[in-house]
Amino acid sequence: MKSVMRRPFSLFMALLALPIWGASYEKVAEKKLFNGEVVKEYKLPNGLKVLLLSRSQAPVLTYQVWFDVGSLNEKTDQKLKKTGLAHLFEHMMFRGTKKYPDGKFDELTSRMGSDKQNATTYYYRTNYFESVPSYQLEKIMELESDRMANLILDGALLEKEKGAVVGELRRALDNPSRLAWDELMQLVFNEAPYRYTVLGTEEEIKGFTLEEAQYFYKTFYAPNNATIIVVGDVKEETLLPLVDKFYGSMKSQEIPKLNFKEEPPQKKERKWDGKHPQATSEILLLGYRIPSVNDAEITALSLLASHLSNGMEGRLRKALVDKGIAVSASAGVSHRPDLFEFSVALSEKHPAEEALKIIDREIALLHQSKIGKAAFERALNQELLSAYGSVDNNNSLANMLGEYLMISGNYMRGIEILEGYKKLSESDLQKAAKKYFTKENRSLVIVRPAKKGKTS
Amino acid sequence: MKALLFLLSVSLVLNAAPTEVEPRLLYEEDASGLVSDIQVVLKTGSSEDPIGKTGLTNILAELILRGTKKQDRQKFQSAIEKLGATLAVGVFHDRIIFSGTVIKENTFEFMKLLEEALLQPKFDETEFNSLKVEMVNQIAHIKNSNNRLGGLAIRQELFKGTPLEKPSIGTLSSVRGLQIVDIRRAYNNTFHKQNLLFAVASPFKETQWKTVLKEMWMKFPDGAQKTRRVFEPKVPEGLTLIVVHKPKTSTGVLTFAQKGITAQDSERFTLGVGNFSFGGEPLVSRLFRTIRGELGWTYAINSGYGSMGPLSYQPGIYTIASTPSVEFTTKTLFKTLSSWQDYMRNGLKKDELTLAQESLVNSYPFEFESAEKRLGQKIHSELYDVPVLSQEEYQKTLQAAGNKELKKALKDRHTEKGWVIALVADKDVIATQLAEEQKGTAPEHQLKIYSVVMPTDLIK
Repeated sequence: MKSVMRRPFSLFMALLALPIWGASYEKVAEKKLFNGEVVKEYKLPNGLKVLLLSRSQAPVLTYQVWFDVGSLNEKTDQKLKKTGLAHLFEHMMFRGTKKYPDGKFDELTSRMGSDKQNATTYYYRTNYFESVPSYQLEKIMELESDRMANLILDGALLEKEKGAVVGELRRALDNPSRLAWDELMQLVFNEAPYRYTVLGTEEEIKGFTLEEAQYFYKTFYAPNNATIIVVGDVKEETLLPLVDKFYGSMKSQEIPKLNFKEEPPQKKERKWDGKHPQATSEILLLGYRIPSVNDAEITALSLLASHLSNGMEGRLRKALVDKGIAVSASAGVSHRPDLFEFSVALSEKHPAEEALKIIDREIALLHQSKIGKAAFERALNQELLSAYGSVDNNNSLANMLGEYLMISGNYMRGIEILEGYKKLSESDLQKAAKKYFTKENRSLVIVRPAKKGKTS
Repeated sequence: MKALLFLLSVSLVLNAAPTEVEPRLLYEEDASGLVSDIQVVLKTGSSEDPIGKTGLTNILAELILRGTKKQDRQKFQSAIEKLGATLAVGVFHDRIIFSGTVIKENTFEFMKLLEEALLQPKFDETEFNSLKVEMVNQIAHIKNSNNRLGGLAIRQELFKGTPLEKPSIGTLSSVRGLQIVDIRRAYNNTFHKQNLLFAVASPFKETQWKTVLKEMWMKFPDGAQKTRRVFEPKVPEGLTLIVVHKPKTSTGVLTFAQKGITAQDSERFTLGVGNFSFGGEPLVSRLFRTIRGELGWTYAINSGYGSMGPLSYQPGIYTIASTPSVEFTTKTLFKTLSSWQDYMRNGLKKDELTLAQESLVNSYPFEFESAEKRLGQKIHSELYDVPVLSQEEYQKTLQAAGNKELKKALKDRHTEKGWVIALVADKDVIATQLAEEQKGTAPEHQLKIYSVVMPTDLIK
């Protein structure tokens, strides 16, 4: 490993700067993307990871901070044992520090011209991100590091924010597809905490205390639990001293180990059949258990998803949408939770069972025969096209690096999967379909309208 | 009566007819790009659909992608997708855009297929019937989206009797009634030299593209010059509350609408600055800070001039939309109204004004950050005859938008009470809340439900 020290400077400057320049950083790796661009990885002594991809097509950059904490952590934490706080807390990160009180973060980032500023929470991670003109780098780093270290949690603001979060929850609850996903997670996972929703329940959200929020912040928002990702118009020699300045003095903390109960293998098909008051047609959602993202078979499963789902010639579209049975039909691979999903929004007057029969027929065909050379080539090139689009955009590239880092510990895993496609054959896809698309390995959710004709 | 309304609401703008010998090409070279983006723009859209045949342009455009005289749909689509390409179409009230993206090395193979689709569509009867079924299913599925239902209720009221009354995709009856002969006629009226615009962002040189595109363009017939029609929304004098009845919702979808502005409006930048801080920008706008930040009644609230697409020759609509928790629905409605009244009368505070100006100016580089976005700017400029401003010009223009100018622009372009309000929620819950909220208000000053519509009424 090559160590990169800060640039030399005069003793006078050094004395002035000591408190904030006290840390050094280490270059951990350099990894090349398929387009020749290079991702550089660094680490600070306090454990903070930094990923940088420099490009200068436009004077802008994307700045993201990822925390290795999500709803899985809170439900399994002995002091919390609830869900929804990771997400509510994400909202509170915009509610002010001593230096920048409530509203100031949003105002200042807006004034500096930030684009796509937002934050998201999922089962396994929370991320904060914005794109800014590159000359605003120092200011955005000051603001992001300030709220990471100096957030003031205020009881009155917490109560106000609960209202917005309950609004977000209710909006989700009005969506029948959301019910289908929640039920699928409960069906598939009897032990693993994916069975609990990221948003939590209304009761849980309203019940969170200031002390719980403070505990969550102090425990999980530490440099050794965070990664900064920067993609865009900035050079290493500009970024790293600023990382040192704003994050170098933060102290690493002991992060509680995720108390994760592994889900035992599924032995028989599981089914949930229910109703939603807002549904006007049926929804079918299938989930097949698959291995984790680092498993070699993920490559074949991902390409299989492309074959089934991508484009006008996607196999599910042809079998279901073109025949008038469904409005949409897709397949996809999820990681953490590790599932292969089939999702169908039925047309009115078509029952979910009709789609299920067709999916079963297509799966039987996948078991019996290879998909054919032309279909294989189609799936492969569609995946390449999609990846090229992601890499081209600062924000989506940063998202890809961050997401793979959080699900696999390897930010290059997405690129590896893409490279892996080229080594696959049609037989590999058939083998994966045979191994994983079995009834015993499947969970099945059907959401139906509550009362036919009531709203129509 | 319907025909009379239609005529009254239409004003005509004649286009000059240029004598063209070359296709119009907007180009952005992206030397390091891994893909080529190709857009073929037809400068007429769904507002050309005859009354009763809404959805015609949409079906025509979709059918173009479903088979040519040389190869059926499956062969054609497989050929496209095997190249590592996608070909999609978007239909808007004033334009159709075929968008292709293809991995660099297969660019010109893809162009042959694109040409085949545009010049030799098959219009196969079986494909046509299957597409109609697909569209009917999609239209019926709109009932699952409360946001879209709210939007349809607004359009139905503001654009009654005009082609903008119904969505571009059509209605259940209009799509069912379409015949293949309608499609062929619409194709002949639409796909001609004078109606075409090409836009490309690609790693290849512009000269290569000029050759390829001219060759394609020359194969299109000449066509009749289209007359541009402008449809003015009929803004009511007072508040018009329409409830789209959806029982047992946890949230209400609340949309306010009145007349918007055109791309050429001299006050567009001033009103853009005002809207940014009033409701346009999530997190910092006045509506967001008060109704979500202070009161916690809603998760989302925003306002803007773009709910019917980017600014164009049509004035379109200005909207304020939110999704309050159901118990705060009418509270949010009245709070939004009082906020609007204050905004109309007093404009913005000084710090709100500078916030909007700084933010818009500083984020302007993002409008040009990629070849695709730069191309988007050029297309908008070409279609609506508005200049693409440099950073300096944009800054100067926005800084000239003071509060005095804003208040005047608001007074000239908007009204305090001329709103159509669509609320997707349970009608009985809303009626109870309205009564509760207006206790002590004289009956003649109370807001009443103007009409209750069922979701099916909006798509039938």
